[in-house]
Amino acid sequence: MNKKKKNLLLFILAILILSAGTALYTYTEFNRKAADLSKATAAHQVTALELINAFTANETESNAKYLSQVIEISGTLKKTDQDEKGNSILVLGDSASMSSVRCSLDSLHSLQEPLKPGSLVKIKGICTGFLADDLGIGSDVLINRCVPVKP
Amino acid sequence: MKQLFILTALLGLFTAAQAQNRFFTKTGKISFDATTSKSPENIDGINKNATCVLDAQTGDIQFSVLMKGFEFDRALMMEHFNENYVESDKFPKTTYKGMIVNNSAINYAKDGSYAAKVKGKLSMHGETKEIETEGTIAVKNGKIMVSATFPARLSDYKIGIPQLVADKVSQTAKISVDCTLDPLTK
Repeated sequence: MNKKKKNLLLFILAILILSAGTALYTYTEFNRKAADLSKATAAHQVTALELINAFTANETESNAKYLSQVIEISGTLKKTDQDEKGNSILVLGDSASMSSVRCSLDSLHSLQEPLKPGSLVKIKGICTGFLADDLGIGSDVLINRCVPVKP
Repeated sequence: MKQLFILTALLGLFTAAQAQNRFFTKTGKISFDATTSKSPENIDGINKNATCVLDAQTGDIQFSVLMKGFEFDRALMMEHFNENYVESDKFPKTTYKGMIVNNSAINYAKDGSYAAKVKGKLSMHGETKEIETEGTIAVKNGKIMVSATFPARLSDYKIGIPQLVADKVSQTAKISVDCTLDPLTK
């Protein structure tokens, strides 16, 4: 009898722990934010020009390779675009060409001071895809949630 | 010689006018809201990297947006959106190609706010459907603010809602467009 009771107690305890674990997991999973990429390891390391050329040459293949991946990009800063809400986008590439890699900075990692056009930039972020130039405004590879990489 | 001068001047004038016909942005905002009264949370996302090109002369207007560029409060919602709903690996891009029907009523050279009627085709998730909506075009200091809100029925684009959450995700998403366009100079 005593042993049966003990077993039952253990069983209830196990159920309780399990359900608490599930609840906790569900809760944290439900509230999970997009990850901060400052500690993420990049799946690919490329230059801005390599990335533009790869997407221009074969969009489908490059989508399969880069989409949703963390990639580290180095390149020359053409300019910094800033929208009305203060989000900055570092535009990398060859200033003679209309095509660029546009890196939207993670708001947690905004720049302390503006970068000079022409400076070399190293940054990592998630590749969200390619907008081919069908509107006459240049092709762009878009990178989201970017964080600068310290040299 | 005089004729040549006039010709060059005219040509110069023509190209100058040509250059100001088109307006564009690469930082347009497009958001959607599919919240219902039974949703336990807001179901919405925003994309801040939409491109838009407007030809003031013809009234042609085009938008392109990458589905993977939508941002959400919750990472889980972003994953579900990409994997289960819009299948952004298969269909990375959504475009709208339209025309401002009452383009002649809009004076792009004068500051002001104008009601615009747009008719065009929205291509999303491999499906293309006609969308007609009303919006606003505001002209201010040489910039053009384009805004509109319209509904898109998910079933029109073959975007399925799983049975389990059928009453928690709206069948019709409210799409909002908010773009500030600069003159396109080359």
